[in-house]
Amino acid sequence: MKVGIIDYGASNLYSIDRSLRYLGANTLIIDEPNKLKEVDKLIFPGQGSLGSAMSHLKKIELFEDLRTQLKEKPFLGICLGLQVLFSKSEEGDTQGYGFYKNEISMFPPDLPIKVPHMGWNKVFIKQDHDLFTNIENDTRFYFVHSYLLKDFEEEKSFSTTHHGIEFISSIGDENIFATQFHPEKSGEAGLKFFDNFLKWNP
Amino acid sequence: MTVAVRIIPCLDIRAGRVVKGVNFENIIDAGDPVETAERYNTEGADELCFLDIDASYENRSATLSTVEAVASQVFIPLTVGGGVSKLQDIERLLEKGADKVSINTSAILDPSLVGNAAKKFGSQCIVVAVDSKREGEKSYVYTHGGKNKTAFETSAWIKIVEGEGAGEILLTSMDRDGTKIGFDNELTSSIAKDLSIPLITSGGAGSIDHMIEGITDGKADAVLAASIFHQKEITIAEVKDGLASKGIEVRL
Repeated sequence: MKVGIIDYGASNLYSIDRSLRYLGANTLIIDEPNKLKEVDKLIFPGQGSLGSAMSHLKKIELFEDLRTQLKEKPFLGICLGLQVLFSKSEEGDTQGYGFYKNEISMFPPDLPIKVPHMGWNKVFIKQDHDLFTNIENDTRFYFVHSYLLKDFEEEKSFSTTHHGIEFISSIGDENIFATQFHPEKSGEAGLKFFDNFLKWNP
Repeated sequence: MTVAVRIIPCLDIRAGRVVKGVNFENIIDAGDPVETAERYNTEGADELCFLDIDASYENRSATLSTVEAVASQVFIPLTVGGGVSKLQDIERLLEKGADKVSINTSAILDPSLVGNAAKKFGSQCIVVAVDSKREGEKSYVYTHGGKNKTAFETSAWIKIVEGEGAGEILLTSMDRDGTKIGFDNELTSSIAKDLSIPLITSGGAGSIDHMIEGITDGKADAVLAASIFHQKEITIAEVKDGLASKGIEVRL
């Protein structure tokens, strides 16, 4: 089993790669379409801006092939990797894959909070999922983001988190799972989550 | 019900070793970076901060290997600073496993570096480190590891880099650094009240009460300390218990 990590030019993909290799996984950095064939699972890392990620994927001709693979292989999107599944974001007029129509918005400016939302916050698990196996409800994961998913279909929302307002911190839909938090920076809890992803068979 | 206050041990690095000084002088060896990082991770550190305090060309490659070695064993956020002067430096550190890069002297020399770095890598990974020293009623920013005074007052400078797109401020009181008499909470709170991005307070922590005061009085989002953790005077777990007993949210 081999996990592909999408390289869109401006992410912390090596942190994810190091975490997975620490757990004994085989990994491959995907920086061109042909490499997609070689992997069984996919991770879309998070960091950087949606606009530059999308234009980089188009430049290396990965955008359309990835769209097809997203529907087939077990997929984990992290942070920006969650946002790409949606159609639009306040972060420029950038179009993601558009599987879901809800808007990715900024934290409202009038809240008494610091933005970016940076640090360890509680993940309230709303529904069981294979990726949360042996992870307690209310476990803190590491977050760093300024944009959020406020509303989503209830049956596909797996956890929420609160920073000034409540937002959706993970979503799942058949072979797709995506988190606003960063498992690769979440210490033991994050490693457990990745281990669940390696074992996941949706 | 919100994000936890962060406890960040800082490892000053010189030529691949952890070192520590008092008031930015009298540097002594304080251990191996990977071993130290692993110990802090086990104790419950929320992040780790590495500052290459003598970032010459030779030491820079030692620091890159240190970052890579730590990042392969410890899976919590790593901030690395010291001698970061161009976008390429940031890129290289991120490749080796840094999650955030702190910029100090070079931001003063060219504030647009902060803006350009935030645009390229995202605000979340750009920390501006500010070394501040009091002079009567005022506080001024120093550069080059505390050697050179600038014309910038600390509060004015922080507003500038916030506007440029910094994701976080690491504010060190040079007057308190290594003294263990407590953070300069007056300075920190005066900055924090006008700041929309997270503020890390640094310089002077000597007890659990100091850590608590850094949050309650200093209004910081995170506390950073070196000496007391290196010398095992108190552990990170003890600090977190102390904060939790005051109703402050921490990751236990």
